[in-house]
Amino acid sequence: MTTHWLPFRLLLIPVSGLALATASAPAWAALAGSVGSIEADRVHLAAAHRVDTMTNYVMHTLTLANQSQVREFARPDGVVFAVAWTGPSRPDLRQLLGPKFATLQAENAVVNHRRTHRGLTVSHSDFVVRSGGHSGAFQGWALAPNFMPAGFPMSNLR
Amino acid sequence: MNTRHRHAALTPVAAALFRLPTIWGTTWGRRAATSLRGVGPALLSLGLLLFVTACGGGGGGSTQLASGPGFSSGGSGGSGGGATSTGVNYATITVDGGPAAVTTGPNGYLADNIAYVSVTLCVPGTSNCQTIDHVQLDTGSEGLRIVQSALNANLQAALPLQTDPSGNPVGECYGFVDGYTFGSVRQADFQIGGEKVANMPLQIVGDTGAFATVPSSCSSGGGTNLNSVQQFGANGIIGIGVQQTDCGVACTTPGGFSAATYYDCPTTGCSTIIARLSATSGTMQQLPNPVAAMNIDNNGSVIVLPTATSGGQTAMTGTVYFGIGTQSDNALGSAKVLMVSSSNSTRGSGLLTAVYNGASLNESFLDSGSGLYIFADNSIVACSNPNYAGFYCPSSTLNLNATLDGANGATALVNFSLDNAQGLFATTFAVLPGLGANPSIVTTAYPNSFDFGLPFFYGRSVFTAIEGRSAGGVNGPFIAF
Repeated sequence: MTTHWLPFRLLLIPVSGLALATASAPAWAALAGSVGSIEADRVHLAAAHRVDTMTNYVMHTLTLANQSQVREFARPDGVVFAVAWTGPSRPDLRQLLGPKFATLQAENAVVNHRRTHRGLTVSHSDFVVRSGGHSGAFQGWALAPNFMPAGFPMSNLR
Repeated sequence: MNTRHRHAALTPVAAALFRLPTIWGTTWGRRAATSLRGVGPALLSLGLLLFVTACGGGGGGSTQLASGPGFSSGGSGGSGGGATSTGVNYATITVDGGPAAVTTGPNGYLADNIAYVSVTLCVPGTSNCQTIDHVQLDTGSEGLRIVQSALNANLQAALPLQTDPSGNPVGECYGFVDGYTFGSVRQADFQIGGEKVANMPLQIVGDTGAFATVPSSCSSGGGTNLNSVQQFGANGIIGIGVQQTDCGVACTTPGGFSAATYYDCPTTGCSTIIARLSATSGTMQQLPNPVAAMNIDNNGSVIVLPTATSGGQTAMTGTVYFGIGTQSDNALGSAKVLMVSSSNSTRGSGLLTAVYNGASLNESFLDSGSGLYIFADNSIVACSNPNYAGFYCPSSTLNLNATLDGANGATALVNFSLDNAQGLFATTFAVLPGLGANPSIVTTAYPNSFDFGLPFFYGRSVFTAIEGRSAGGVNGPFIAF
C-alpha cells in the first residue's frame, strides 16, 4: 500500500523546512504534523511503509532495515497524533518529534542524582512520552493528546 | 543451584567478601542512615575502594601484568581468539555506592543497585595493563565500554585505534534506554577473572580528537550523552546479554545500524555510517559480547547474588560465572529455562512475556543493568515528592508476583517485593531491593513491558545464554533461574 501515499513524495521538502511549510497543522515534523510528514520520515529512516486504516484512525507502519518499527497514528483528517516505536534501535526522535524533541531532551536532562537507567519520559498536557526497554530492544511512544481522536483505544498505542 | 556455596568453599577470600557487606550494613546503616547520602558517599566509597584494593579485588591503579601466553599483537581490527584462559571462570561482583568519580563533587551521588566488576585491559601483546574497577555488569547490552577518564593516559595513548577500509579510525554510537555513549573503537587484550580475549574491540566513551563531536545521527535517538563516569554511574560497562555482538547483521551493510552505529572518523569528525563485520573470533570489527569472544566458557554466564536485607544494605558481593554447563560451578541444575527473542526479532533481543495483574506484557526482560523494577500498576501509590516522580512509594512493603512465559512454553513464577522508594533513597544504602518505578504515571497505555532489574537478581542465580550457542544442552538465547 505504499503507492497509496506516492503523491506525498512530490511534497517532499528538506526536513529543516518542513515544519514551517505545514502551516495547516502544528509545526511539528511528524507528531501533530500532516500525513505528508510521514513520507518525510519514511525517506529519512529509509523505511518500508505500510498503511492500515482502522475505525477512527490510520496507522502507518515504517519498518527500518534493522527490523525496528515506527508506527505513526493519524486522524482521518491526516493529523499525526502519536508515534510509537519498537525494535533493536531507538528511532531518530529528532526527526519524528520535530520541535518537541527539545522538550524531550529538556525533560530528561540528568539532575545530579539517580542513575537508575529508566526510559525517557515527558508528562505535559499537550505532549506525553513513555519509553523503555534495553539496548537492542527499545519501546516507547509519544502522544499529542490534544489531537487524539475521540474513541482512540490507548491500548493500541504501541 | 549451589554455585555460590561451591565457590565460597573453593575461595576463602570470596567467602569473606560475602560476609563483610552485612557487617557494613549494620554499622554504617544505623549510624548514618539519614545524613550520609549525598554528603558522605565519598567517605563511604573510599572505604569500599580501600577494602577492595586491599583484598586484591582490583583497585583503580595501573598494574603491570604478564600477558597471557596466548595473547598476541595484531593489526587494526585484528584477530582475537588466541588468548588462553586459565580455567578460573568467575569474577567477583560488588554492589556498592560507586567509584569516587560518581560519589564525589557537587553532583556526587550514591549508585543505586549497580552491579560492578573489575576488568583488566592491556595494550595488545604487551604488559602495559590497567585494572579498571567499578565497571557495570549488564545483561541488557553487549560489548565492553570504558569511559575515557577511567583509563590512565599511558594506556589510552597506546591502545590501538581500529581503522576502516579508508584508513580512518572507527567511531561508535551505542544506545541505552536513557541515552547513548559515543567514542572510539580501540583494541585491547581483555581479562576478567581467568578469562581472556586477545585484541578485543571495545569502545572508549568520550574519546577526544576526531571523536570529540557527537554526530547528529547519534544524538537524535534522544537522552543523555553518557560521556562521564558520573553521568554513567560507572567507569564503564560490560555488556553480556544474549547477542553475540553489539549490532549483529544490521551493521554489516553500509549505513546499517541497530543499538550500535559505526562511523568513519577522519580528523574532521565522524559522520558516515560504515559497515562492520559481526564476529566473536578471528577478525572482530563490531564489539563482541566479551563472553561470546572467550575461547572457553563462551555460551553465556551466571550471575549469583545473595539475598538482600529487606529495606536495603550498604553493599553486597556476589559472583559472575562464565559459561553455562561448561564447568562444575555453572551447571543449569534445576533452573527453569525460558527462551527469549533473538536479535533478528522485530521487537529486539532478550524479550519474553511477563504476566502481571492478568496482563500479558510481551516486551518484558531481565536486565542486570536496570537498577529497579519497572512496570505499570496504577493501584500502587506513587511517590508524591516530585524528586521521585514515577517511583513507587507504598506505605509498607508489598509482596507481589508475576509469571514469566518463555517462547518455549515454559513458565516461572516470580515473587518480588516493592518498597517505598523515597524511604530507600533516604538511606545510605546502595543495595535497594524493593526499588520500583511506574513508567505509566498519568496515562494507562504504556507499557507492554516489565523490566526486571537488578533487584530481581538478589537472592537468585540467573543464567543468560547467548544466541546461537548451546548452553547446558539447550540452544540460546534463553534466560534461566
